[in-house]
Amino acid sequence: MQTSPGNFQSSFRRPASTPALIQTPTLLFLPHMEFAAIQTHGLTRRFGEFTAVDGVTFSVAPGQFFGFLGPNGAGKSTTIKMLTGLLEPSAGTIEILGKPFSASALDLKRQIGVVPEGMALFGRLTAPEYLRFVGRMYGLDRETTNQRTQELLEFMQLANETRKLVTDFSHGMQKKLALAAAVIHGPRVLFLDEPFEGVDAIAAGMLKAMLQGMINRGATIFLTTHVLEIVERLCSHVAIIHQGRLVANGPLEELRAGVASTLPGAQSAQRLTLEEIFLSIVGAGDQQDLSQELSWLA
Amino acid sequence: MARINGARIDNAGMDGAQQALATGGGLLSPLARAQYAALARLRWRVFVNGLRSKLGAFELGARVVAYVMYGILGLGLGAGAGAIAYSLADSQNWQYSPIVFWVVCLIWQVVPIMLASFQEQFDLSSLLRFPVGFRSFFLLYVVFGLSDLSTIIGGLCCFGILVGVTAARPDLFVWTALILAIFAAFNILMVRAVFAWIDRWLSQRKTREILGAIFMVLILSMQLMNPAVWQHGHRASGKRQQQQIQQMLASPWVKTANEVQEWLPPGLAGVALRQAASQQPAPALGSLGVLGLFVVAAGSVLGLRLRAEYHGENLGAAPALKKSAKNSAKAVPVREKTAEREGDWRFGGSGPIAAIIEKEIRSLLRTLPLLYAVGAPLVLVLVISGSFIRGASRGPAPLVAFPLCVFFAQIGFRMLFSNNLGTEGAGIQLYFLSPTPMRTVMLAKNLLHSAVFVVVLVIAGLLATLRLGEPGAVVVAATIAWLLFVLPCNLAVGNIFSLTMPYRINPGRISRQRGSQASTLLSLLLQVGVLAVGALVFELCSIGGMMWLTVPIFLALTVVAVFVWLRILGNSDDIASQHKDLLIATLMKAD
Repeated sequence: MQTSPGNFQSSFRRPASTPALIQTPTLLFLPHMEFAAIQTHGLTRRFGEFTAVDGVTFSVAPGQFFGFLGPNGAGKSTTIKMLTGLLEPSAGTIEILGKPFSASALDLKRQIGVVPEGMALFGRLTAPEYLRFVGRMYGLDRETTNQRTQELLEFMQLANETRKLVTDFSHGMQKKLALAAAVIHGPRVLFLDEPFEGVDAIAAGMLKAMLQGMINRGATIFLTTHVLEIVERLCSHVAIIHQGRLVANGPLEELRAGVASTLPGAQSAQRLTLEEIFLSIVGAGDQQDLSQELSWLA
Repeated sequence: MARINGARIDNAGMDGAQQALATGGGLLSPLARAQYAALARLRWRVFVNGLRSKLGAFELGARVVAYVMYGILGLGLGAGAGAIAYSLADSQNWQYSPIVFWVVCLIWQVVPIMLASFQEQFDLSSLLRFPVGFRSFFLLYVVFGLSDLSTIIGGLCCFGILVGVTAARPDLFVWTALILAIFAAFNILMVRAVFAWIDRWLSQRKTREILGAIFMVLILSMQLMNPAVWQHGHRASGKRQQQQIQQMLASPWVKTANEVQEWLPPGLAGVALRQAASQQPAPALGSLGVLGLFVVAAGSVLGLRLRAEYHGENLGAAPALKKSAKNSAKAVPVREKTAEREGDWRFGGSGPIAAIIEKEIRSLLRTLPLLYAVGAPLVLVLVISGSFIRGASRGPAPLVAFPLCVFFAQIGFRMLFSNNLGTEGAGIQLYFLSPTPMRTVMLAKNLLHSAVFVVVLVIAGLLATLRLGEPGAVVVAATIAWLLFVLPCNLAVGNIFSLTMPYRINPGRISRQRGSQASTLLSLLLQVGVLAVGALVFELCSIGGMMWLTVPIFLALTVVAVFVWLRILGNSDDIASQHKDLLIATLMKAD
């Protein structure tokens, strides 16, 4: 579905209905690419009567840093779970690196890395034990696993915590370990569900540099996060999901221009932040004065 | 009066009821009562919401069946206790009444140890984030455990004693009720205190090793005590045996033991009843008072543990953090420290099966409920072999004594076999994310669990041999063949239960585990089934005098069981895929 940006109402006001998709077809298939790194068509997931993800179609080219945004409960995690095999789609297709996921699941799983919502950690192992286990589950030989475990622990600044059980790690340390586990086998496509949540500023900077390095070496990264500044800084392409439907998809600059053209007074696109774009597309809610609400709060 | 910006804040924004709730802190304060009501409502809503799924409804059915079974077991024991109590009261043999109380006390305290893998309790530690007073926390801890197996059985035994004594001596109803109420209070508090402290001791390596050593010494002591107590009992005639018992009862150490037991809770309860029956109210009240002191002591011991928990103690974190602090103090270079870990023991091979087995061994050694469930039933070997020894004093020990003793030692494997993903937590996602098929994961787990099964049963066999004497070669071969049949049955059914009815195991605690009555009940039925098959084969072959025939029969059954296991293993990926949502949602639930 493709509509003009003119469908949007003014900034900071909720659209009358679910916003239409802003899509820039030029980015769906780059001319020199044989296949997309990630491609979905009509991806749908229903839980009983409720449709969490409704006919989502998008494509991520190899080498892209792709930001997948949406408000709470929009369907981000459900989508990422379907893309990584944690959840069966009710309808639609998924292709990763040009192969249908359902038919080549085991082969594709060797080539993707995932930091899922729950981090997939084993609490009763230490960090080195966990990384070594994950490496071998992905088919790495023992020597390579050990070498990469050591490097990753040092990079993630976890090498001083080798005797502590994962269950005793702080949330931020667990996130770093989950990210280390997701990359230990050198994946070509990396799926990250809220990877920066609870990570301190120093570690976050380090992780961003690592992810950017992966992109420079040709990997594809699919990122969901609520921290829009991170998406703005890292991602070249963004998709926004709202109430289970994809409502925007394209390069950040084009989305910026599209939204700017809908604003009264033709606001400069350069000055629009991703937060303003996001709020404009998914709706900011009623911007009434909330200071008078919950007056019993201190 | 405190003020903010000049305004009084004593009752600002609060009406009378809210103020009362906010200021109360006692056991029955308005705040505490509101919290009890909220908790009761929470439990009710959790129960009702659980019925929304088919599994939830099945769980309810299983729970009803389980409680009916517990009830029947309790009623049987209660009827027995009642009959003995009636007999003692009717014949005025009050001097033997402590024996009844000792038996009930042992059942109350030992049943949870024996059936650790069947226990399920509500963990209240999540309540600590709310303004719950310590006394309320303590009360809730005790009250929420009242529906467990030991309390049901113990309570029914007490009720049986009350009915028995009252039927013979209606005038003793009030005394008996009072004595039994205090005796029950002691048992309820004591069993919780024991488990709370076992949790504490087993959470740290040093105390765990000390406890393990004490356990071993206890077992060895029982082996040494056994021949001392039952000297030549196997071959003694009825008269000779009676003489031996008379001699034993007349010995000074038995007299001393009797004097000591009269100052312990079951003895005190029996003595109080005897004194009440002899119209000696003052001494009876004195005995009851001492029994009351034991109740206070048990409550204090439990309170000591709960207070630490109430103040935020985390059994899982405490030891590891200390180690971590020590490590950082040493300031060993990072690479050196990581390399140091490389020298740890490792399981051979580098494929996923070796990786999973290695990981499972580490997890098993750090998961208290599993270690406990696997080890505790070894006590059953002592109990069951003991009953055969006493029976053997009147004739030869039955041929099935040895296989039965060894069979009961594997009961603890229920939790390991039928919920083999229970300790994975959020890690379950990795199995679905990685390219390793679920059948490989299950195979690796099955291989390790089979190895542990063999080790535990060899220990059980040695214990049974020490207690019962050396079994014949045919009996040993038949036992091995029977267990070879039991193992794939357990693995096959366990894999299905693990993938379709998982529940999360809290690795840091033995008590207060969540559980699935459906899984428990069905795996119990499996045990009954394989036991029945074993009993049938042994019985038929022994009637025909062809015990050797049990071996080929069991081996033939084993072939069938292995075939079924392999089929289920081959379908593991499909089953896991169908229950993926359930597995992830259930195992990732926060404790």
